Amino acid sequence: MTGGDGAGGSATPPLVVLEGITKRFPGVLANDEVNLELRAGEVHALIGENGAGKSTLMRVLYGMYPADGGRILVRGNEIKISSPRDAIANGIGMVHQHFVLVDPFTVTENIILGEEGGERLDMDSAQQRVAELAESYAFRVDPGAVVEDLSVGEEQRVEILKALYRGVEILILDEPTAVLTPSETKDLFGNLRKLREAGRTIVFISHKLDEVMEIADRITVLRRGRVVGETVPSETSKAKLAEMMVGRPVLFRLEKPKVQIGDPVLRVEDLTGEGKLNGISLEVRAGEILGVAGVEGNGQRELAESLIGLRTPEGGTIELEGAAIAGRPVFDIRNAGVGYIPEDRHEQGLVLNMSLWENAVLGRQDDADFSGTLGVLFIRKIKDLAARLVKLFDIRARTVDVSASTLSGGNQQKLILARELETDPKLLIAAQPTRGLDVGAIEFVWKEILDQKAAGRGVLLISAELDEIYALSDRIVTLYEGKITGEFPPDAPPEQVGIGMLGRAPEEAA
Amino acid sequence: MAAEGTAGTIAGPRARPAWLETFVGQMLALLASFGIALLIGALLIVAYGENPIEVYRSIFDASLGSTDGIGYVFAIATPLIFSALAVSVCFKGGMFNIGVEGQYLVAMITAAVVELNFDFLPGPLLVPAVLIGGMVGGMIWASVPGVLKVKTGAHEVVTTIMMNGIAVSLVGWALNGPLHYNDAPEGAFVDLRSNVFPKAGLAGDLGAMFGVTPGAHLSWLIFLAVGAAIVVWFLIRRTRLGYEARAVGSSPGSAKAGGVSIGATQLRLFLISGALAGLVGMQLILADRGYLPLNYVVGLGFTGIAVAFLGQNNPIGIIFAAILWGILSRGEVALQISSQVPREFIIILQGLLILTVVITYQIAKRRLAARQLQRAGMAGELEDSAAPEESAGPRGPEETGAEALEPADEKRI
Repeated sequence: MTGGDGAGGSATPPLVVLEGITKRFPGVLANDEVNLELRAGEVHALIGENGAGKSTLMRVLYGMYPADGGRILVRGNEIKISSPRDAIANGIGMVHQHFVLVDPFTVTENIILGEEGGERLDMDSAQQRVAELAESYAFRVDPGAVVEDLSVGEEQRVEILKALYRGVEILILDEPTAVLTPSETKDLFGNLRKLREAGRTIVFISHKLDEVMEIADRITVLRRGRVVGETVPSETSKAKLAEMMVGRPVLFRLEKPKVQIGDPVLRVEDLTGEGKLNGISLEVRAGEILGVAGVEGNGQRELAESLIGLRTPEGGTIELEGAAIAGRPVFDIRNAGVGYIPEDRHEQGLVLNMSLWENAVLGRQDDADFSGTLGVLFIRKIKDLAARLVKLFDIRARTVDVSASTLSGGNQQKLILARELETDPKLLIAAQPTRGLDVGAIEFVWKEILDQKAAGRGVLLISAELDEIYALSDRIVTLYEGKITGEFPPDAPPEQVGIGMLGRAPEEAA
Repeated sequence: MAAEGTAGTIAGPRARPAWLETFVGQMLALLASFGIALLIGALLIVAYGENPIEVYRSIFDASLGSTDGIGYVFAIATPLIFSALAVSVCFKGGMFNIGVEGQYLVAMITAAVVELNFDFLPGPLLVPAVLIGGMVGGMIWASVPGVLKVKTGAHEVVTTIMMNGIAVSLVGWALNGPLHYNDAPEGAFVDLRSNVFPKAGLAGDLGAMFGVTPGAHLSWLIFLAVGAAIVVWFLIRRTRLGYEARAVGSSPGSAKAGGVSIGATQLRLFLISGALAGLVGMQLILADRGYLPLNYVVGLGFTGIAVAFLGQNNPIGIIFAAILWGILSRGEVALQISSQVPREFIIILQGLLILTVVITYQIAKRRLAARQLQRAGMAGELEDSAAPEESAGPRGPEETGAEALEPADEKRI
């Protein structure tokens, strides 16, 4: 075991041993002689930045990629895994970030798909078995529900049950919490603890250090395809883990620049719409970051989309420096000086199969700088712009001609930031700006947002991560069921803000 | 992101530029797909007890083997280029214009109206007026499903199919009513048609210039078709509209958040598509017949869908795909003369070609994308974006469209 310090001496032989796994992609050494041991009944966290080789390593174990070197031992026997089918036969299952479920099928139908057992399909007994399985690990899911009606958290439970139904002993979860709300994460952790009690082994791929510290029994850190350390939560800290992952110390708290707070940039009055916004009033001033905290699904998305013009509010006013913008087209609102970092960068930020330079100009293609009166694009100038942004924001890409889909999540987000900030917007709407990013990229995004403040611009930060709200905001408001339920100074105790997030006014809380 | 982090990237000095790699990869894919299609075809020929080499040679002789043959091939390709371009323009914006068929029928009516009402104009004025008349006709017919889609969300596949049915009836009505011929000699039996167009208003026979038989009806419309392909390429790749269209087609949400009006973009694409569709019938009425006949060639719009796929919706690819289609269509004649292989073999071969091209292109595309993804070299892409396997799901317009190939092919006549 390389770097196996303080892994807690134990007599139990490891369940799975990966020895010297090497995986090469053209031009990239994704795994470089990686050694890893998984023991029965442990939650083993595999952490590292995006691109460190975590998923690749687990895909090798799951039979999705053939390894270029090394061997895999399960219960002491060397085995060859050349397909996920082999892996499952050896008791290894994996749940990917992107679920593969048949939407119109019920939970049970999805779970037994491919494992129906015989020509005659006895749906009732199958449903019974699934219900028992779910119950034994405290999974809250209705075996008869149709998958397309389920929430993301429920779909994930179905995926996990699918693996368990196939008798999997070792369950690999690839960033399972990336798609979950905080409360769903809590549920998942409850399930994982039950699984651990039952003696199953769980590999938890993540880069969310709080979660890793909470759930993991052992932690292996990968960096650039190599194992850089192995530890247990009691002997490490978030800061130590982050340093191992990134290779340098990472700041979790950034210095907030001291800026004179100016006049209101954005003023929202009694905004209503689609039953999701029930009279929101708020104000963002120049040089100020207003943090909107709240459990997801309480109108965050609708608020952001109404402000940028993707939705037309049913009532209320939105003023940008005194000018009414509610219900105006996106194009006009952007031109009036609003930048937008969408919560879903693939859905609303980038056109993934278009090149980096084409994405760099999205939203500004009408500028006289980038296209002529006849609508002919000035490609040279756009590429220059893209090259400048790539340099300024340290976006890692071979050329500006590569498609946006080839960028890592962090680099994609940098590209969006670069594009949105290039025009010096008076107001930046940042919705979940660091979702799915690793620590290094989070730090970068936070710095950029603080720079906006330093430059005297207004920022509306909408985030489900309370940490992020605290790290950046000058004022915090809580959003609950489409209403602002409280306003707090940045040094208010998190418990109070939490009460606001649950919908009670702060007076009642006190 | 790791500040200095590249996951063991080998930034090879020998790294070829991405476009070259793409080009070479696509050409290899193309060759492979031809090879596979011809091989499967050869097996079928053997099953008929014929010699594949001879059958293929007879197809070649009939098409590229003589000047006349080449003339025929280009004349067949001409309307198909327009038709496939019309399909591809909508496709770029994420729409499926099944209505090229109806749009070109209506365009033939409007073009005929211009011919017969402005017959006093000299050729250099009349012919452009007729072409514009056709394009306007196509645009009018395309505007209905376009507006319905933008305003009501009605799916363009449904509405264009319905518009096709109406267009067929419209031609019959026009030829029985306002455009009914009255120039035939007393007592002569003439097929239902319009009056004969003025000579100055025809596209002219190019055959004499290149030593091609007049029977091929080769006209300069082929140059117009190639020109249109170049214009479409420029439009899609080099203009704001094309840029916005591609954004709307690949990621409507991101396009919208970027301030692009999806409705306006799609409507404009539909109108451009209709204008291109309007030129499909010109080869028939201006070069071949010289009047609007009732027994027009049907299915050019549907064949255009197949050709667009064969050309991978790339305007330049479409030119070559249409020529290939012309070669095979000519080969149909040769088969009847020289072998026992039924003419339907050509249809099978066309279908095979589309299948192999689409499949090998998809494979090549994924391979190249995966390569470039990994070559991009920076950390992250392997983990963060979907693994190549996962992106192989039946998503995206290419795949959904491909399913429609079979019916389109059957309707080919």
